[in-house]
Amino acid sequence: MALVSDRSTIPASASDMDLLRKYEPVVCYTKGEQFYPTDVEHYVSESSLWEHHLDGHDELLVKQGELTLQKLTEFHQAEFGSVRYLRFIENLSLAETAKVLADQGLLRQKLGNSFHTGIGRLARGGILPRLVDGLFSLSFLLRGKVSAATAAAAELDYNAIFEEDPKYTYYGHVSRQNGWTIVQYWFFYSFNSWRSGFHGVNDHESDWEMITIYLFEQDGQLIPEWAAFASHDFKGDDLRRRWDDDEELQKENESHPIVFAGAGSHSSYFRRGEYQAVVSMPLPDWFLGLIRTWNKLWTDTLGQPAIDPFHIPFVDFARGDGLCIGPDTLHEWSPVLVDESTPWVSRYWGLWGLFARDPISGENAPAGPMYNRDGSPRGTWYDPLGFAGLDKITPPPQALQMLEANCDKLSARQEELKKLIPQKAYDLQELGTRLNGMEGDPHLAKLYLALEKEINVLSAEVRNLRRESLENTAILQSLLQRMEGMKSGIKDNPRAHIHHITQPDDPTQVLRFEHAAETWAAVSLSILLFAIAALIFFTPKYAWTGLAITLILFVVAESFLRGAFVQTVGRLTLILAMVATVILFIHFWKWIILAALLTMGVLLMVNRLRELTG
Amino acid sequence: MAKRKKSDKKKRPIAVSVIALAIVVLFLIRLIQVFTALIGENVFTGGIAGPLFTGWRLTGMGTTLLSSASYLILSVAGIVTLIGFLHLRRWSWVLLMAWTGISLLISLVDYFYSHANYIVMASNVIIAFALNITDVQRMFGIRRDHGSSL
Repeated sequence: MALVSDRSTIPASASDMDLLRKYEPVVCYTKGEQFYPTDVEHYVSESSLWEHHLDGHDELLVKQGELTLQKLTEFHQAEFGSVRYLRFIENLSLAETAKVLADQGLLRQKLGNSFHTGIGRLARGGILPRLVDGLFSLSFLLRGKVSAATAAAAELDYNAIFEEDPKYTYYGHVSRQNGWTIVQYWFFYSFNSWRSGFHGVNDHESDWEMITIYLFEQDGQLIPEWAAFASHDFKGDDLRRRWDDDEELQKENESHPIVFAGAGSHSSYFRRGEYQAVVSMPLPDWFLGLIRTWNKLWTDTLGQPAIDPFHIPFVDFARGDGLCIGPDTLHEWSPVLVDESTPWVSRYWGLWGLFARDPISGENAPAGPMYNRDGSPRGTWYDPLGFAGLDKITPPPQALQMLEANCDKLSARQEELKKLIPQKAYDLQELGTRLNGMEGDPHLAKLYLALEKEINVLSAEVRNLRRESLENTAILQSLLQRMEGMKSGIKDNPRAHIHHITQPDDPTQVLRFEHAAETWAAVSLSILLFAIAALIFFTPKYAWTGLAITLILFVVAESFLRGAFVQTVGRLTLILAMVATVILFIHFWKWIILAALLTMGVLLMVNRLRELTG
Repeated sequence: MAKRKKSDKKKRPIAVSVIALAIVVLFLIRLIQVFTALIGENVFTGGIAGPLFTGWRLTGMGTTLLSSASYLILSVAGIVTLIGFLHLRRWSWVLLMAWTGISLLISLVDYFYSHANYIVMASNVIIAFALNITDVQRMFGIRRDHGSSL
């Protein structure tokens, strides 16, 4: 195919390692990133192995300094529901905590690798999401979390390991399914510092990230067709980009996809930028139902944009202005090939870091490439095609063949229908004639009804066949058109499969008073809490009214800074009008119903009289 | 047959006329509220007799004067807005919406803490919903095209 001739190919007989090296990615990080892909061996040797039992106690299986990759996979009996986990950073005393925090500061100073937030996430959401964000932050008092000292100690330990053996490792996994050759690059990080380092959602010990390249075989060569980057817990069609989509999939030397890693989260993005990662609060169904009903009234009836304050905006900084690792950069990869026969991949199903006992799992460490946190097999490993929605896509060389087979099948059915429809239509007419003949003969009533029933069934059948024929014609036309296109080398839209494309925030879209808005965003919630406290203390009688008025004033001030004064005033007035409507209805429901009935009566009467008088 | 010349003027929707009528009603009610309170305190016959504050707190006279002044400002603002509104000015829509919001807030506070004026409340509700109508918003340049607001 002419279209793929300019792509960087590799012989189908190449070894898995050659395949890995041929398409290994370039990963670009944000300035200030603290952790880079490392090897599991060093990490494990610095960790201890634990078992969390159902009764709540934690048992030390192998202590720090004695653990190896081999010991990690040794059999340890445990009850159902227990959690096995590694611990990279041991519990720290108060003195150790102070020391690691001080050392972390010194290390960052020494490396000169500092992160500047810019216009942060707080100013990117309104006051209601910020209020919920405050509750989210407070939820860490109840949920288990990884401490700031643990993050600092992990940073120090990672740097110590790196100084000892400076290398950047990825774990490659090559598999073959449905005509595709699938090359996965797994990256292991000692720590995910998104929350503590970059104001993100969570922190956890260890992090596994992955990107996949899908190749097909043609004329003895493997040709790359798709690349999929894992991003948080998303999956499906939206994750993959076609190799020839240069705008969305940037490449180094036509062979190495460029990945922009989120700061701290290490989530992978196709384009550099700052991404809004929205976290939904776990709310009960009845409450979500209420929000849906409100939004229906708010959007459908009142024509306003939907409101969902229970989505907290977090920013994933994938600026790509920091260190880059990969071909043609200053830092090379150390590849390691893994598969199901690699013991630590298949036989260690536990967590690769601290089990923080977080019920919503955000702060618990992830499991390895082959497993989920609950020990079930990880879809990205055993179903890499399904992970990126490719399980339904045929590799290009077979696509034309499959399309032709589809057309043949449909054409055959059309031929069949061409004969079947007139035959059935004739039968129907015959039965109809018989039915007409039976009319006016009371002694044939029973037979008449039975025949009528038979006619109705046949009539429905003919109708369905005609519809099928028409639909088939349309489908066939579409398939033939596509076949023509494929034969003449025209490829379809490379983004046709994407339902929701992840876009970075527009850097040109700044807030009206950028710094004032940012400062206001940072302090407004606290000021609001102080105002509520003052209201309760000084005017307890008017506390609720005072709270409502204070909130309205805050929202108006916010809208002014965000350049949304007109919309906000409109929306606030509408909400007040709705409250007033409810009050009016409670007090005057009889009169309102009466007025509505009278109005409808008058309108109907006028309408009918107009009809009568022509 | 000679074609009727199309008027260059924008055709005013019925809702605009309804809103204008409601503003006039509200203006009159607010004006009555201004004078009733002042008459109740004998301001017209006896002038401002007595202090407005005792320490940091408002006296009865102080409260009456403050609420009368607020109502007077609202009434006057209403009339100014009405003039702009009848000329289909964008600023008048914004001002009227803000004015209606403040008026509704006062009505609701009155409802929860003293005596509600249901006529004022109902008039404000009608104005708020009428101002939110898509055609009205388009007419005032608040909404440029279907479904998107400025």
